[in-house]
Amino acid sequence: MSQDYRLPYKDDLGFCNIIFSAIGGEGANMAAKLLFKLGVEMFDLDGGYDAKYGSEKKGTPTDVSVRFCDYGTPVRSAGPTTQPHFLVAFREFLIRPLSLNRGLQANATVIVNSTKSPEEVRDILQLNSGTVICLDATDIAAKTHSRLNMPMMAMLCYELKFDPEKVKEKVAKQWPKVAQANLAAFDAAVAQSKRATFKDDGKYPLVSFTEHRDERIGYLNMPEGGAIDATRFSTIGKNNRLSGTGFFPKFEQASCITCGMCMTVCSDPGSLKWVDGKMTGIDENYCKGCMRCVAICPSHKKGKALQFPCPEAEALTTGKKV
Amino acid sequence: MTTTSDKIKSQVRWLGNGNEAVAQAVLHCCYDGEGYYPITPSSEVGEEVAKAIAAGKTDMKYVIGTSELAAIGICTGMALAGGRVVDVTSAQGLLLKYEELSTVSGLGLPMVLNLSTREINAPLNIKNGHSDLMTMLGTGWLIFMAPTVQAAYDMNIIALKVAEEVLLPAVVAYDGFHTSHANRRIQVFENTQDVQEFLGEKPIDRILSGKSKQCSVVDTKNPKTMGPYMNDDLMNTKVVMEQKMEHALNVVIPRVLKEFAEISGREYGLVQQYGDKNAATCMVALNTAGEAAKDAVDLLDRKDEKVNLVIPMLLRPWPENQISDAVGAAKKILVAERATQYGANNFMANELGAALQKKGNNAKIIQRTYGMGGLNFRLDDALYLYDLIKKWPNVEDENEKREKWYYGVWAGDPSYNPPVVVEPIKTEDCSINAKLERPNLKELSKMPNRIEKHAACPGCGIFANINLFLRGIDGQVILLFNTGCGMVTATGFPYTSFKVPYAHNLFHNASSTATGIVEMIDKFKKDNKVSDDITVICVSGDGGDDIGMDQVIAAALRNDPFIFMEYDNKGYMNTGAQMCYSGFKGQKNSNAHVGPNQQGKLTHHKDIIEILRGTYAPYLFQAAESQPIDMIRKARRAQQIVREGGFAFGKVFSTCPLNWGLEEARCPQAVAKVVDACLHPLYEIDHGKTTLNYNPEEKGKKIAVTEAFASMGAGFAHLAKPNFATLMEETQKHVDYRWERLKAMSGSTVL
Repeated sequence: MSQDYRLPYKDDLGFCNIIFSAIGGEGANMAAKLLFKLGVEMFDLDGGYDAKYGSEKKGTPTDVSVRFCDYGTPVRSAGPTTQPHFLVAFREFLIRPLSLNRGLQANATVIVNSTKSPEEVRDILQLNSGTVICLDATDIAAKTHSRLNMPMMAMLCYELKFDPEKVKEKVAKQWPKVAQANLAAFDAAVAQSKRATFKDDGKYPLVSFTEHRDERIGYLNMPEGGAIDATRFSTIGKNNRLSGTGFFPKFEQASCITCGMCMTVCSDPGSLKWVDGKMTGIDENYCKGCMRCVAICPSHKKGKALQFPCPEAEALTTGKKV
Repeated sequence: MTTTSDKIKSQVRWLGNGNEAVAQAVLHCCYDGEGYYPITPSSEVGEEVAKAIAAGKTDMKYVIGTSELAAIGICTGMALAGGRVVDVTSAQGLLLKYEELSTVSGLGLPMVLNLSTREINAPLNIKNGHSDLMTMLGTGWLIFMAPTVQAAYDMNIIALKVAEEVLLPAVVAYDGFHTSHANRRIQVFENTQDVQEFLGEKPIDRILSGKSKQCSVVDTKNPKTMGPYMNDDLMNTKVVMEQKMEHALNVVIPRVLKEFAEISGREYGLVQQYGDKNAATCMVALNTAGEAAKDAVDLLDRKDEKVNLVIPMLLRPWPENQISDAVGAAKKILVAERATQYGANNFMANELGAALQKKGNNAKIIQRTYGMGGLNFRLDDALYLYDLIKKWPNVEDENEKREKWYYGVWAGDPSYNPPVVVEPIKTEDCSINAKLERPNLKELSKMPNRIEKHAACPGCGIFANINLFLRGIDGQVILLFNTGCGMVTATGFPYTSFKVPYAHNLFHNASSTATGIVEMIDKFKKDNKVSDDITVICVSGDGGDDIGMDQVIAAALRNDPFIFMEYDNKGYMNTGAQMCYSGFKGQKNSNAHVGPNQQGKLTHHKDIIEILRGTYAPYLFQAAESQPIDMIRKARRAQQIVREGGFAFGKVFSTCPLNWGLEEARCPQAVAKVVDACLHPLYEIDHGKTTLNYNPEEKGKKIAVTEAFASMGAGFAHLAKPNFATLMEETQKHVDYRWERLKAMSGSTVL
């Protein structure tokens, strides 16, 4: 327990607010939960760890929040923070579609998994003011055989000024089986980060928090019983890419013997462009990159029509170390 | 809210969410038993208890029922025997238990039911709302409110002590997700013994020693007939219940709250009053909304604006004197409720109004329904409502002038009408099977997809199976889904992934719903109002055939003309991988753990096809994506049966990469191995005659069950390890026994 620790930010109610934005299955929840535990156990802080919950599927964007306050400050409100001082974005591509600058406070600290420069990320985020820290957490996680949450959390702990040795001790204790990998990721994160600080130069205004939803259908025009007109409100017109692995199988027409096996295992057959009884390619607007079709596609003398696009995709979907 | 006392017991700092805190309390209360059935967002309570059982940390009995009604039936049985009993539920789960609620209270059985509140609604929503809670008001249950994670722990101990003293069951209501999934730092008792001492003797000890009026069926020296038939005397039971509630309100609850404060340092009242009692404006709100409003009271106070806040901590008995007192001098009181009574005043507004009238207080009551379906209620929302009370009725918005209105709603844009992106599927485009003697994948690739672009996890088996099966189905299709991943990922409002007519009713009754629909189709056809060739297909997970088993059996017994397709992914995957009766013995589930005292799921996999064999339904089958032509052939046969007026049921094996911990591209191989291990034999029962459609033995492909389990991902990998050898030997024997039986039937001319 440290009496010397001071929270880097405090709002009107005495809270330092952190929001994690990630894709389900990336370990943001586990990281946030551990962070909350660290704050309480190491510095006698209080606060809360909350998440935006829904039906938890792989690939669903998820918000997780940790709010810290000094012990003794009443902890009352429920649900994720709407006024973050810290934004930790596990995927840079989430920033635009989710408008992650909503509610972000002046002079915020933003940690983003990105190969771009802090200046570029500031523009994507349209950040009013604060510090942007970019790190290639995907690369660090891959190289250290850790998960994305480790480099991201390492960077956050560093910015929170949590004693790195103590944090590493807790991480090793929490996940003993992968302690070495996680600790390697921890060390790599801070070393490889790039940062820049931006003043409120009038380029981007502060954006207050609003719920991220489409309000074009409300109680005046909702179809009877909350029904959906399948001809107009179809997912077919929507971008489904966020919920995929980010990879697509490679298809070679010349090797295809039209056996149809890919069609029998594909979980979303719109992904396979079958035209007049012939497989012609992958529709990337549908395909989630599960590679089930690659696994079933037969090898024969003409070759193998569906293949992994890269070793990373094979490693991800088969668990093989490639 | 804290007090010091020399009786204070040792406590420790504890971190966790509301559900985990409730589970801590359950373990600290040393219950004798729990009947359980999972439902979001309360499932975790039972999962934590299951963990403690597997770890040998508790000797309580824990039975997972096939439904919520079954779960509370098990609890009632435990209580009839004199056990200290706990249950947990939410939303539709509570409603399915509903007929049992009055039985439990009427029979005078103490019990604690944890209600992690959730909205009950169609369209389905899994998030917070108090509509479930409000259905309990007239059931004769004590209702304790827990606004925080700390209170969720504390109220469990308080409620149990009160329940066992007044001989009424008690509900502890804490907000779904907002509390159930909120991680907080709280204090819990260090020694279970201290909680035991506080609670006093267990019911069975009090009964057998004659210290309690409670009855028990195991008290053979004093045989009692419990639950007789009753005529005119029934009215008197109502007085008994009323008197119990009065006694609880006036004597027992205040005393127990005081005793709890003495051992814990935490004081709870029948009602919390916060802010200025002399303020002209007051808000009344329950649970987390009340907590958020406290921050608003503080911030307004800093600006020297005085407001009052009242948070009832008890709904039954209703502490009306304390509440009338707590609203103080307010002239306008906004009653914020996470519930509504359509076409009438809201629940608490009515009760507060009646209480104030008795005191001659004519303060104006404004009603706002908020936060149903999980919308957050934060500081800003509370500030808005305090501002509204201050100005009301002098506000610009016409709706806000109303006494009763909804907060956090939007009107929409009536001119919004996006263009047509999907043309309805034409019957003539779906007549491919009629032209094919045998299934042909190349030709069937032309079958329009009836559903596509869903949000299921990459590699999920559900839609792979559905789409493969539907290639064998000609004509128009109506799809009816039981609750599960399938419906959740394909119909997120305002977008649907279905191109054909689709309906979702509830978790368990797609089969009965289908019966209603096929009866109407039949009638409309006879009346010449409908001429389409329509096939009705129910789709359900294996969980739907636990909770809905009776209704599937009934549809089979009636031989209703529709197809029922079960995708069996070995668990309640939509709610967090809880045990389904279809799961494999030894399988890890979130409520059946592996530990020193337990090796995962306790029983062998349910065989729904053999259960249905006794209905003599015309067509039953099992199929798998590993034999796609076989599955399509079965789809064609099922449609033929339905067109002839009969019922067809099929179970298909389905992968769940998320909850099995199985990499997506390994799914097809896992399916093939499960089939080759005879864990999911491919066969059909056509008009009572059994035929094996794929015999891995004959092909020299039969493998050990452990080899199949080893291919199913991290969630099954433990089964191939040496410490499971004895269990696996037994499983292999059992699977071989089922396989031999099947082969014998397949070779028979009468079976």
